[in-house]
Amino acid sequence: MFSIRGVRRATTVVAAVTLMLGLSSSRAWAQAAAEPPDPNPGALTITGNIDFLNQYMFRGIAQNVGESRGIAMWPSFDLGIQTYSGEGGFKSVTINLGTWNSLHTGDTGSNSDESGLGCACGKLWYESDFYATLGLGFGGGFSLGTTYTAYTSPNNGFSTVKEIMFKLGADDSARLGKFSMKPYAIFAFEVGTDEHMGQADGGLEAGKYLELGISPGYTGYSRAAIAFPIKIGLSMGDYYESPIDGTDNKFGYFSLAGIVTVPLGPTTKFGNWNLHFGAEYQALGDTTKYFNADKNGEPQSNQFIGSVGFGFSY
Amino acid sequence: MGGSGRAWRAAAAACMATRLLTGTSAAQSAGDPNPGAITLTGSMDVSNAYLFRGIPQDDTGLILWPAADLGVALRSGGRAVRSVTVNLGMWNSLHTGITGVDGPSGKLWYESDFWTSVGVGFAGGVNVAATYTAYTSPNGAFPSVKELSLKASAGVHGTNPYALVAFELEGQADGGAVEGRYLELGAAPALGLAGIAVAVPVKVGLSLDGYYEGLRGDERFGFFSMGGNVTVPLSSDRSRFGRWSVHGGADYVRLGDSNALRLGDNSKVIISAGIGLSY
Repeated sequence: MFSIRGVRRATTVVAAVTLMLGLSSSRAWAQAAAEPPDPNPGALTITGNIDFLNQYMFRGIAQNVGESRGIAMWPSFDLGIQTYSGEGGFKSVTINLGTWNSLHTGDTGSNSDESGLGCACGKLWYESDFYATLGLGFGGGFSLGTTYTAYTSPNNGFSTVKEIMFKLGADDSARLGKFSMKPYAIFAFEVGTDEHMGQADGGLEAGKYLELGISPGYTGYSRAAIAFPIKIGLSMGDYYESPIDGTDNKFGYFSLAGIVTVPLGPTTKFGNWNLHFGAEYQALGDTTKYFNADKNGEPQSNQFIGSVGFGFSY
Repeated sequence: MGGSGRAWRAAAAACMATRLLTGTSAAQSAGDPNPGAITLTGSMDVSNAYLFRGIPQDDTGLILWPAADLGVALRSGGRAVRSVTVNLGMWNSLHTGITGVDGPSGKLWYESDFWTSVGVGFAGGVNVAATYTAYTSPNGAFPSVKELSLKASAGVHGTNPYALVAFELEGQADGGAVEGRYLELGAAPALGLAGIAVAVPVKVGLSLDGYYEGLRGDERFGFFSMGGNVTVPLSSDRSRFGRWSVHGGADYVRLGDSNALRLGDNSKVIISAGIGLSY
């Protein structure tokens, strides 16, 4: 079975960019005189990444499956529009539009003509997501984001999944200085589904998903920023339906990760660039371990993920 | 399949409108929301038909063309070599007709193209660019085509003549027996009128070898087109949200024999309208 998709990278890529921005800003106060002028003082922000991983897990559901798993490559691009910024309790309104992609070299990608998965046509392009987010910023570092995402698969690895997601977060770096905890909660629900169609688990019913997490970080080093994101993914209803007996298992996965982000020089007229590394461990639930079967078909409860990538912010 | 022709058109329209409506970038430093070296161009167009270099793709439903391009100015201001730029971008075609939602796949996303381009600007307004493009079809309507193209253009008295040569490296636009070589010659006379940019693009597409393979072998003449485009700004050039515009136009396309056979007619009028951003 091969019926998955993803909004994944949330941990590594977004965290890396956030870290990098935090690092840049923390350095900026010390280097104000030496820093070049802001190359982009307007209301639009461009962010891009390319990452390479040994395994793509979407909310605990393995995507690089089969005998040959290959690697996953994640090019992404985001355009942020700050439509309002002010003082007081209501700080900002932003709109983000973006695309996130997963290219696979293994059985779910360029080797699919041999594996027979998806289109069985040897196409690299496993996943392409499009999203639009309305973000509201409040006093105290609180934020609320509402995101609509369409998860599509150009190589027919899965049927298109459409989802609405709410994220409530808090950025406590202003209070904690170079440290931060950044707790958050995500609630997402699938829309426009049918039996075995339009669902992350390929199940019978549309799923509802809850994610709780924190991302402890430190930006006090001049050469790198570090973070240790921790999160847990839960089904609030039919999100992790077992492909064996249809049981909706509450626990999806637990994740613990470490990310190091190294800025590639100061801010220039080309923006900010960084190199980032990540390592992640996931403990999987009864449904998700089935999707993470090894080459012999044995379900695996643990998964280690390594990643490296470049990030860009302008 | 299609793409870079459209991509260039969208990007060129945005650039042309920017130049005509706001003057050159050299004069813009104070208040410029984006004085850095990176430029974002985006557009979303709606059309009644999609012909790629004269080769019919679809005219049975609504066609949407979202596109984005990121330009990086590596160098600017030299004497002989005025500028060196790198562009990365994507162009897409979404179809509600028989090659999209109403087709065998039932999927909207007919085409997605990716390109990377290196351009060099010389004194006298002459520009040369080399572009690698991958034309892909997410809904499986055609096999991927990979192409290398070279384009030379000049800003001669607002006529903007250009020549483009393209070489298929893998896959074929015409679905023929051999990879093709393509030549396009064109111009886009343009002027600004009361804050509105008007252009009259004219072009001809020719096969240098194997690009328009038909029943009688490779045909030299692929298409001729002439059109009119109007671009109206929605924001000032100092807006912190970039320069937004709406544009619309019509093209009359006269087809060669092999393309006429595919379409079932020897000509087509293509109408399109859209919104553009340059930042």
